[in-house]
Amino acid sequence: MPRALEADGIVVQFGGLLAVNDVSLALDEGSILGLIGPNGAGKSTLFNALTGYAKAKKGEVDLFGRRVTRLPPYARTRLGMGRTFQIERPFEGLTVLENVMIPAFLTTSRRVEAERRAHAALEQVGLADRALQPSSDLNLARRRRLELAKALALEPKVLFLDELMAGLNPPALRDMISFVRTLSERGIAILMVEHIMQAVTELCDEVIVLAFGEKIAHGSPADVTNDQRVIEAYLGGGDDD
Amino acid sequence: MTADTARPERRTGLVRTFLASPWSRLAIIAALGAAWFVAFPSYMSLGIALLLLAGWSTAWDLLGGWTGQTSLGHAAFVGLGAYTIGTTANELDLAPWWAALLAMALAAGLSYVWGKLTFRLRGSYFVLASIAIAEVLRLVAINERSLTGGAVGLFIFDLAEPFGVDLFNRGNEFWISLGYLLLVMSVTILVTRGRLGYQMRAVREDEASAQAGGINPEVVKLRAFVLSGALTALGGCIYGIFLSALQPQPMFELHLSVRIALVAIIGGRGTLLGPLVGATLLTLAAELFRNVFAEANLLIYGLLIVIVVLFVPRGLMGELERRSVRRRYAKSARS
Repeated sequence: MPRALEADGIVVQFGGLLAVNDVSLALDEGSILGLIGPNGAGKSTLFNALTGYAKAKKGEVDLFGRRVTRLPPYARTRLGMGRTFQIERPFEGLTVLENVMIPAFLTTSRRVEAERRAHAALEQVGLADRALQPSSDLNLARRRRLELAKALALEPKVLFLDELMAGLNPPALRDMISFVRTLSERGIAILMVEHIMQAVTELCDEVIVLAFGEKIAHGSPADVTNDQRVIEAYLGGGDDD
Repeated sequence: MTADTARPERRTGLVRTFLASPWSRLAIIAALGAAWFVAFPSYMSLGIALLLLAGWSTAWDLLGGWTGQTSLGHAAFVGLGAYTIGTTANELDLAPWWAALLAMALAAGLSYVWGKLTFRLRGSYFVLASIAIAEVLRLVAINERSLTGGAVGLFIFDLAEPFGVDLFNRGNEFWISLGYLLLVMSVTILVTRGRLGYQMRAVREDEASAQAGGINPEVVKLRAFVLSGALTALGGCIYGIFLSALQPQPMFELHLSVRIALVAIIGGRGTLLGPLVGATLLTLAAELFRNVFAEANLLIYGLLIVIVVLFVPRGLMGELERRSVRRRYAKSARS
């Protein structure tokens, strides 16, 4: 499978703190890579370095063989990166449909077409009946799905999901897991930061474990959850979940 | 009456559809303007002042409301327009329509350069920097005597007459001002319903999220600023002809910039009708209270602002619009 995303020796520094220290990763089309680790391990910072929201002090990011390390976030979006935010960021003053039309306008300048594509994205995440609602009135689970619809309306090739599953109740979690699986079956490469181990073990082909900004393990979900260093750093004792 | 009761629903439906289109709102405004012309021939100057303020404020709103970048320097564009008309008429004998185009081009260039320099600044820092635009131009107007007449100002004695229309006639100026307001509102409709309009609102709501949608916030802000500055300058041209005696002191002052912004804020930022509603309210209130309370009218002005900020923070039309969005959703959810 062709390589979608490759990051080499990423270093992000905040003042004296090394938030991410020399982390490399690679992601193929249609595969799902999980990024886990205790709070403050640098997962979101690495995420932001890959998508352009944080500045990498060292290292390179390649998207389909193209170097994007020095590009701002919007330019990376245009090259095929889509992302959701850990804390959902809907355009509060706009309706649900208008929210999704904005990314849809990336690939068309016609309003009718943008509206059609936005509707299609809302349909996929099951928010079509909420199209005309002000986005600020949505509950948490629906705001999450709106985040996802906004990313999908871009028709991304690489999708970054930042704790998409957090706070969902069991049925909503199951829906979301199977939906993410269909996305990867469509060939979208997915990188997910996730705390919910159920989602990680069911979805990810490979998992990278971060602790204190460093990569401490890399392998299949089963491998890393049995790794002694991971158990110490992350699971904090013998018990698995 | 009895014949009509058979299908009242269909009739209100038609009226609703008509009112829902922004273009029919423009038609109503045009009709109201014409009615003012017929009904109050002795209030032409007040009408012109109202229409111009509404037009400037609508143009301001493209940047300040729809894109969320509050400017307190728009008097700069009013002054730039007025002075361009005056200077070119006196020095070059340039016809006012060419001068208007020149003024818009100058304003577009000024907005572009100013935006490039100051859009790095966020929030209140951009507001502070915008105040300086008008201040710089005021100093230019005072010091470049050969072009502007310095502190004394300049007079426009003579203007070309397009199709034999006397531009110094108050009635004609009223129609031109009405046309100007309708033009700015038309541009607003076209822009805000298209891609740029959606991008502007995205930038206003959340720049990081806008970038995740592939939007370059700086480019969007620059486009909004250029459009806003050029349209404000066009209104400034009409203002220059209306005054025909230009002085740097009232023209470039912060007071005018604040009024342009406040009118939109009170009426409702980021709405088509907000600036016009705000301008009407404040102009008429100022006119009424000037006679009743004399010096206290500024107090009334201030009270109005406090009331709006406290009780209708989205502005009058902003609140109405929000309600109608909620109503439309409730209706769609029921069916």
